[in-house]
Amino acid sequence: MKYSLLLSALLSSAAFSATVQTVQRPPQASTIQVVCPTGTCTSKPAIHKDVLPINSSLRIDVIGQGVAPTNTSSPAQAYALAKRAATADAYRLIAEKVKGVRIEGDDLIKNMMVQRSTVRTTVKAMVRNANVVETTFKDGLCEVEMEIVLSHADFAR
Amino acid sequence: MRSRDGNRTLSCRFCTLVLLSSLALNASEYLISYRYVVKNAILYNETLQISKAMQKCIGIPQTSLLLQQKNSKDIQKIIYNHMNEFITYIQKIGINVEHKEKNTNYQNSSTTILTMHTRCFKVDFNDNFAKITALK
Repeated sequence: MKYSLLLSALLSSAAFSATVQTVQRPPQASTIQVVCPTGTCTSKPAIHKDVLPINSSLRIDVIGQGVAPTNTSSPAQAYALAKRAATADAYRLIAEKVKGVRIEGDDLIKNMMVQRSTVRTTVKAMVRNANVVETTFKDGLCEVEMEIVLSHADFAR
Repeated sequence: MRSRDGNRTLSCRFCTLVLLSSLALNASEYLISYRYVVKNAILYNETLQISKAMQKCIGIPQTSLLLQQKNSKDIQKIIYNHMNEFITYIQKIGINVEHKEKNTNYQNSSTTILTMHTRCFKVDFNDNFAKITALK
């Protein structure tokens, strides 16, 4: 009986001290510390930093490419159509960089041989405030350089 | 006692009312949608649809675009005359990007669709300019 009372008293005191310790813990920092699996950690643990901190901006540059169709009635029309295609490509590249790409892959293997290999990628995004920096048209290929400036507020909306 | 410039104030008020009502009559709202499809880096299809709004649009005005015109109130004509400027403006407002790419046995094919969903625009016609403002 005495031992059980002593044990319970010890346990309660330990629990109390543990709660006190948790209360006295300092507030967590904004950076998240990544814990590596055993054996793979270096001497310094990797620290995850914010990609876009508050009050800073990030500039993304892309070059979209487009080709004019073969059945155009004039070089001007070819240029206009190729430019549209290049703009769409540039928007796609921005969307890929900012939002990411969904990738699906299928491989069909028959009799130990690859019959068909398919990779499907999809991008879905809404892009606004992108600027065309430069447009070049050479040998039927149009290149549109586009930039977008991202600020922390754009994501915090 | 009646003030001396009582009639003047009345005329000023009347002029302001006439001016505001004339400006309001010149302003109109349009529903515009835009979509274009690019297949394998070649423009496949482009659609710009403009129609007059049958109901009053509710929204906060966004950035405006000024297009030069010569006493014309046909918005379709004005936009088609300044197609590149208008498309740049639309793209600036915000455009939906949808891209699908398929690679089968190392042969690639892609489709990119850029869409601006139907949106209300307020158009103010002045003597030489048409001011197009997107409503959000």
